[in-house]
Amino acid sequence: MKPIENVPDRKLLLFKSCMVSQEYPGIESATGYAFDRLGVDYFVNEEQSCCTGIGHYTDLFEGLTTAAIAARNFAVARRCGYPNITCLCSTCYAVNKEACELLNTNAEVREKVNSIFREQGMDDLVYEKGDMDPRSNFYHAVEVLLSKVDLIRENKQLDFSGVKAAAHHACHYYKVKYQDVVGNPENPQLIDDIAAACGADMVRWYEDRTLTCGMGFSQLHLNRNTSLQVTKAKLDSLKNAGVELMLHMCPNCHIQYDRYQPVIEKEFGVEYDTVHMNIGQFVALALGADPYEVCGFQTHSVPLEGFLERIGAL
Amino acid sequence: MMLIHVNKYDTPECETLAETAKKSIRTPDSLGLDRCIQCGACTASCPAARFTDYSPRQLVKRVLENDRSVLEDESIWSCFYCYSCNLRCPRNNSPVTIVQVLRQMAINEGIGLERLAYFVEIGEYLAENGASKIPGPGVRNMERDLGESWIEFKRDLESIRAELGLKPRDIRDTGSEVRAILEGTGFFEREKWIRAGGRGNVSALSHSASPETVNRETASHETPQCGV
Amino acid sequence: MIVPPEKTAVFICHCSGNISEHVDIKAVKAALKAEGISVFDYEYLCSSPGQDLIKSKIEEKGLEKVVIGSCTPSKHGLLFKKCVREAGLNRAMLEIANLREQCAWVHPDTAEATEKAITLLRGKLKRLDRGEPLQDIKVDIFPRALVIGGGIAGITAALNLADNGVSTYLVEKDSSIGGQMAKIGKIFSPDKLAEECAMCSLSPLMNEVAAHPKITLLTRTEVEAVRGSAGKFKVMLRTRPGYVRDTCTACGRCNRVCPVLVENEFNCGHKDKKAISMRFSQSIPKTYSIDPDHCLQLNGVPCGKCAEACRTEAIDFGQQEEVLELNFGAIIAATGFKEYDASLKPQYGYGIFENVLTQMELARMLGINGPTKGKLARLSDTCNLDAGNSNPGNSTTDFSNAPTTDPSNAPTTDPSNSPTNAPINAPTNDFTPNSPESSSLKEKLSDPPVPGRIVMIQCVGSRDEKAGGIPYCSRYCCMAALKHASLIRKKYPDTEITICYIDMRAFGFYENYYRAVQEMGVSFVRGRPAEVIRKSDKSLIVRVEDTLNQKILELPADLVVLSAAMLPSTGTRVIAGVLNVSQDETGFIKERHSKLKPVDSSVDGIFVCGTAQGPKDITDTIAQAGLAAARARAFIADSPKVLEHELARINQLTCTRCGDCLSCPFDALSFSESGRVVVDPLVCTGCGYCTEICEKGAVQVAGFTKSQLKSEIEGVLEAGDLLGFVNSGISSLTCDNIGNSVLSYPSNVKLVKVSTCLVVDKELIMHAFRHGAASVLFVEDPPDNPRAEVIFPLALRHFEKLKEELGADGSRLHFKKAYVPNTKGLAGTFTSLAREGEMNGDMVR
Repeated sequence: MKPIENVPDRKLLLFKSCMVSQEYPGIESATGYAFDRLGVDYFVNEEQSCCTGIGHYTDLFEGLTTAAIAARNFAVARRCGYPNITCLCSTCYAVNKEACELLNTNAEVREKVNSIFREQGMDDLVYEKGDMDPRSNFYHAVEVLLSKVDLIRENKQLDFSGVKAAAHHACHYYKVKYQDVVGNPENPQLIDDIAAACGADMVRWYEDRTLTCGMGFSQLHLNRNTSLQVTKAKLDSLKNAGVELMLHMCPNCHIQYDRYQPVIEKEFGVEYDTVHMNIGQFVALALGADPYEVCGFQTHSVPLEGFLERIGAL
Repeated sequence: MMLIHVNKYDTPECETLAETAKKSIRTPDSLGLDRCIQCGACTASCPAARFTDYSPRQLVKRVLENDRSVLEDESIWSCFYCYSCNLRCPRNNSPVTIVQVLRQMAINEGIGLERLAYFVEIGEYLAENGASKIPGPGVRNMERDLGESWIEFKRDLESIRAELGLKPRDIRDTGSEVRAILEGTGFFEREKWIRAGGRGNVSALSHSASPETVNRETASHETPQCGV
Repeated sequence: MIVPPEKTAVFICHCSGNISEHVDIKAVKAALKAEGISVFDYEYLCSSPGQDLIKSKIEEKGLEKVVIGSCTPSKHGLLFKKCVREAGLNRAMLEIANLREQCAWVHPDTAEATEKAITLLRGKLKRLDRGEPLQDIKVDIFPRALVIGGGIAGITAALNLADNGVSTYLVEKDSSIGGQMAKIGKIFSPDKLAEECAMCSLSPLMNEVAAHPKITLLTRTEVEAVRGSAGKFKVMLRTRPGYVRDTCTACGRCNRVCPVLVENEFNCGHKDKKAISMRFSQSIPKTYSIDPDHCLQLNGVPCGKCAEACRTEAIDFGQQEEVLELNFGAIIAATGFKEYDASLKPQYGYGIFENVLTQMELARMLGINGPTKGKLARLSDTCNLDAGNSNPGNSTTDFSNAPTTDPSNAPTTDPSNSPTNAPINAPTNDFTPNSPESSSLKEKLSDPPVPGRIVMIQCVGSRDEKAGGIPYCSRYCCMAALKHASLIRKKYPDTEITICYIDMRAFGFYENYYRAVQEMGVSFVRGRPAEVIRKSDKSLIVRVEDTLNQKILELPADLVVLSAAMLPSTGTRVIAGVLNVSQDETGFIKERHSKLKPVDSSVDGIFVCGTAQGPKDITDTIAQAGLAAARARAFIADSPKVLEHELARINQLTCTRCGDCLSCPFDALSFSESGRVVVDPLVCTGCGYCTEICEKGAVQVAGFTKSQLKSEIEGVLEAGDLLGFVNSGISSLTCDNIGNSVLSYPSNVKLVKVSTCLVVDKELIMHAFRHGAASVLFVEDPPDNPRAEVIFPLALRHFEKLKEELGADGSRLHFKKAYVPNTKGLAGTFTSLAREGEMNGDMVR
């Protein structure tokens, strides 16, 4: 278990996510907005590359490539003095953490990666065992926000009382490295605790609480029907529980629910009243951020206007 | 024809499937594969098992029985990689990581490459830009699914990013380092193998051939069945 | 003690060729005779004629010292000691040279073996010169036993001890004995295929305890401290006041007038008990007692209603706690188990969904003295404790009644519903008489519907490698689930029951019962459920794969019953610390040998039985408790006890009473009332740690004194030898096993037995080097028994310290752990070190 007290607020490399950048850039700007107001010391480094997650989990990249790309990003993080890699995407979090563990424990892979760096004249990327610690150098932004929950509560400008909300804790946050989760991995409640601090009425034990979003990397593209059935199952259970706001911590899940909710409605002949946002967007909103200029809700597919008006954010 | 050398860490050559799975860098060191008691906690927790024929429990059994026909079984491509089985297994087994090894073994044997072709352009995009993207066929599917509003948003992405105080495009300053890494790990050889559909001897392909010489256009147009 | 050569004799055994075929006995005799020693030989010295020969020669020649050259002393050492004692010699006047396992069998070359045999005998002869007569140490065992824990294990053990005439104290921390068995309502019978009343089996035993003249029962009592050692434990017992005198007739008037309703631990936290109560109606002792945490009077609120109602003036608000210190010869720990906290597996909804309960809670519900008076019901129909319902003011919705990590502020939090508390486990800090819960409880109890579908989940917490789980099988749960299924089917034939299992473990004759329950129409699904889901209509679903037909099932359930694992009770963990006995990784008290010594703890005189030792059912508990009683009785009956091993002895003339040796790792040394340092013979293991510490050399291990070891070294050593100091325990056995395994090593390896290598100091090693040793090797027992666990690290540290102190010669000192099966490894070490020594010796020469 990862004690929340151990989550740092200094020297965080806010790890850029490809899907955040291309689909919901507001997640990055909103998280930055929240971090700024919560006194979090972070840095965004344009030299950092993609974690390879999309390619890795569509089976395109093999483990060696993923490990080598990760080692390069670790060097980037250390070089700029912000070695605490803090992810917006749960897959970046899992991929980086696993790669670090592999590089620390598997000398053969580490040597191979380093020999590639040396052969290509990139000696400054060489990774030595223990350069990064899989337990203490990797965080998800939601952990940092939770560590500041008291500040969020004290400084909230917007109250979410009366909003019935539910969390979708991303699988790659709590099911991959389950020994290193804040709280019991069978009952993650980071998002719930943050949202509750802003007054939201959290629905915790909805029927498909632990079900994956359904994106499944290649599944959305290659087994679209099954993928959407999974998504629909969860949307149905949230609808039955009367949830109006679903909170996310991963752009992949976010795409699956926000982009595809209207598609499911059309294809399956159902209707949902649930709107979606990332927990970073939620916290920024609570702290007084502009829904469009900071949270970037204009990039969402499920319109939030009605919801925002009702809670007084518009 | 097999593609082994690029992939030896994911699929180390061993006597049995179980040994390969245990030695692969895709699976955890503590993998409890041999301790599986076939309790079904994985399958009961599995979204793919709920909606398709996939069964992580049976997959593990076939691996333990060294039933190599599992590599040709379509169902291995149904896993969502959601890791629910990984979280639930009382024996610390991890079907989700074992199936990753099986898919890599299948790829080595030229199985399932048409699926990978859908995503293959991600590699070159990463080398060029330091970032990943939804691949072309995926974009086309999304355009069809999501319609004009999404297409419009994607057109406006730059101005929205500017409005949010973010840099114009999601392209990273990686120099040529990412490309050099992909070259060093042998990824481009693997890419050729995938693009060629597993036909031909990859090692025999000229190393001087730059990735661009491979017909990327064809690959991205050969959209496989996408289940619609 | 030096005696003239003619008063010393050597006896050599041929061992029917085992020795004589490899050792030229004539040559040995000739060599020793030349030194003026009488030598006799015989084909089998261990036979009666052989022993007669030894005895007759002792008498005939007036021998004062005897060396026997034979097989290993661990084989016939005791026999030969007895033999010389019968001839009038002290046991210390006999030395045995191992000419078989450590000579004839390991050195194939006759000349080499013969040469070595002579040196071994010479070593023993020289050693004898330094031997002093040793007195047998006898210890009186205090003829009284203590049994800790008044459950079925403790009750059985106490009755067995008492029936065997042993005066026995039984202590129990609760106000009544009976333990968990009193809670479970029914027990099953595999032969009659029936369920019998647990209380009907238990109650007569409890009454017997109360009535037995040899048993003193102390309830509300805990063991606070234990000092002393086997045979003479000094135990401090603390008894909490019950505020009720023995004059109580258990009429119950006080209970009826008491205005305070409290949470009842006996009923799994149900709020159905008064502040003055009996644990259950068959409680022993049959006396009411007051719960001081909840009684109004004791908390400064004037009440005293019970005292007014009592007709025997038994209520005594001024009662104080009592502390007793008593001696016991033997102790049995029977402190039992606790049920696993199923809320650690949130996927099964315990503590979150009110209709999820554990087998123990179901047992209470089915008990006629339970919260529903034996009626099967859904908790949502019987009591209104679901946070979502009971706190309408809370902003939590029906779905969101689980706790968050921030109890102070988050509205999702309700302390009464924290994951460690079952829903029926609502804590009560209020003193409100007749709280609304009680009325609603009664009201709701009137006619709840019978649950139609029950799903049981096996192995909750057991056989689970994930965090919070335990790796072992809890042994009782399969049968408990079958028993409850059977009970329910008999009483409510329309209720459908499904048991989700991984393996049904109905061992031995229990299979009969399993078969009978199958025939009753109980369904079995082979699969470990993924999770328990609450639908929006609040109904429960268990999602499980039926692995026998590969179908994923969603089983609807009115009640979900979790077969939670068995863990050592808090009392077991505490008492293990107080008694200083070894525990396993889960906290159960570890038996000394899982097969051969199943009830002996790591400490002599302390025994363990029942679920304090490991998960088990009532049948096994009773069998084990009987054995623990027999072992404890045998321990007490063997008084005075003659100690077999040699101990540390203090030379009071040279001892400065500095107290340094009191750092003994076993606490065997202490100051007596007169200020002397004394050795507790029952605690001292003779390890020799104190001899290393004492700067004056005032403490030595009898039989392994520095002068004895020096003399033996002088006798055995020749230039270039490897001298091995061998721990007399496992290490000696391993050395012998090299011979038994027909392996060999060079004959310049000389082994000298020591109690442990801790008795070997720098001076002794330098002495060995001066007398020709090329190198010295410590052979130590591995840390896999309680004694060696303490000694091994000390020995290793001692070795490292010596190596450093020896400076350049430090490289000639070596260390080896000797595992019994690893004879090859040890022989290899001997060989390589001996060869290395030879080479170095050659270079020196």
